[in-house]
Amino acid sequence: MERDTILKVIQAYVHKMPALPVTIAKVLEITNNPKTSPADLNQIISLDPVLMGKVMRLINSAYYSLPNQITSLVRAIIMLGINTVKNLALSTAVLGTLGRASDFQALNMEGFWRHSISVGVTAKLIATRRNVDPKIREEYFIGGLLHDIGKIPLNNKLAKEYVQAISNTDREHTPLYRSEEEIMLVNHAMVGKLIIENWRLGENLSDAVTFHHNLGDYAGGHRDLVITVAIANLFSNVYELGFSGDRYPEELPAEVLQEMGVDWDYLEGIEESVKAEIEKAQVFLQVAH
Amino acid sequence: MKYGGNTSCLELRFGEEDRLVVIDAGTGIRELAGHVMQTDLPKGPIKTELFLTHTHWDHIMGFPFFIPLFIPNTEVKVFGPVSFEDDPLSKIFGDMLRYRYWPVRLEELAANIQYSDLKEGTMDLGGDLWVTTKYLNHPVLVLGYRFEYRGKVFCTAYDTEPFRNLFDVSPDDPSYDAEAVKEGALAAEEENNKVTEFFRGADILIHDTQYTHNEYVNPKSPKLGWGHSSFEHAVNVAHKAGVKKLLLFHHDPDRSDHELDVIESKIRRTVRAKSRVEVMVAREGMTVEA
Repeated sequence: MERDTILKVIQAYVHKMPALPVTIAKVLEITNNPKTSPADLNQIISLDPVLMGKVMRLINSAYYSLPNQITSLVRAIIMLGINTVKNLALSTAVLGTLGRASDFQALNMEGFWRHSISVGVTAKLIATRRNVDPKIREEYFIGGLLHDIGKIPLNNKLAKEYVQAISNTDREHTPLYRSEEEIMLVNHAMVGKLIIENWRLGENLSDAVTFHHNLGDYAGGHRDLVITVAIANLFSNVYELGFSGDRYPEELPAEVLQEMGVDWDYLEGIEESVKAEIEKAQVFLQVAH
Repeated sequence: MKYGGNTSCLELRFGEEDRLVVIDAGTGIRELAGHVMQTDLPKGPIKTELFLTHTHWDHIMGFPFFIPLFIPNTEVKVFGPVSFEDDPLSKIFGDMLRYRYWPVRLEELAANIQYSDLKEGTMDLGGDLWVTTKYLNHPVLVLGYRFEYRGKVFCTAYDTEPFRNLFDVSPDDPSYDAEAVKEGALAAEEENNKVTEFFRGADILIHDTQYTHNEYVNPKSPKLGWGHSSFEHAVNVAHKAGVKKLLLFHHDPDRSDHELDVIESKIRRTVRAKSRVEVMVAREGMTVEA
């Protein structure tokens, strides 16, 4: 397939991208409850990159008078109202399916989900340690949660090619984004950029998604966020917190870690906390029968 | 009925040319249609701009009964908010005129209808008329309108209730999250302030007052989250924003004329002592000049 054709296929898919199979049952349980609690709604959206992206898209595209891009889900729920957010989540959950969590695909969606949560949680922990303004810490979580969003269309619309990309990575010990480029002429960061721009989520999140494998080329104004997400991603890959196909990620120079005031000892120290957050999320996602 | 039983529809007139702007197409638009046929049609084809506050039934269901739609050369520009759905206003609104609901399909109408999806912003409508929109708080996206014409300001705020911190639960609650409580309080306060500023200095404000304060917070059957305001809230916000005339609007369908009479005189007594806002209970056919 030509690169342009691939991008068109992906572009068309972005509108129809459903919630992750891991979260769908809980989304349905929460949204079908006539007395949906704001806290539950907040939590379920926080656990799904597609839902999070769509809610952020709505709040930021509708409210023209916003002085800054909104990255607080609490604020979005208050401004848009529970009913609107709930119905948006429901409509996203019933859009179709990305396959059951257990389905064989290049990327297992449960592993992908765990990886996305891990990167979000880690990025927020690093931001908290650096005393980043609490108002924008959420931006670090969202940046991490969404950083690999570009893999969803690749994994689902170009499934055969994606299986090949991941097996090339495993065989040749190359970073996944390079294998993707070799096989499909695009990588997940490029596709992610396309999605984030389509959702009009703002330069900060777009940069985090676009440059998380390419810090050397980054000269924009959101360096802290971009670097933090890159570190959180590398940590989650190395410690195998979830699985996103990248068994041989590129190392980051020690200066990059230093720039964010962390080292591998610190990261090792937070492993249990990150795992605990993922477990907590999994418990939340269990549906009452 | 003294106050009327139709659902929302407002007729606005501007300037010597009597420019017609309609807000909402509730059942009241049927009677408006009769009036417009008598007063406007003899002067030439009817041209109007119809602004929808939101797409709940009681605000759109009169549209098929707007007789000028069936008259050639009528021009209607429809403006309104759309939500997260990808369907444009033309589909959301136009779908009421389908075979299963109505004998005349949208495509068969003689009128020329144009649709514009609105979000927050300010728009020049030409002829010195400007409109600014603001999202309000209701279980669907709702726009409040602020029309400005040669120094006069007219605002709508329905259907809406004050923004509130939805995350303010007791610290004992398992869902308690201190950061969310703080952020939620700030967000609600900021949005309420924006709404007050939106009304700032209005000559006329038409505000949702479906409930009394006691009904709104009644612990046995609270109406919080239903998307409608209390009389007391509307009066307070109008006073704060320096509004000149406040019209209490969107009456509870179960409210009797007598109850509204009592509420009006009680509110007027209270307001007279504390504020310059002139308060009136809106009723069908009422004319108010800015």
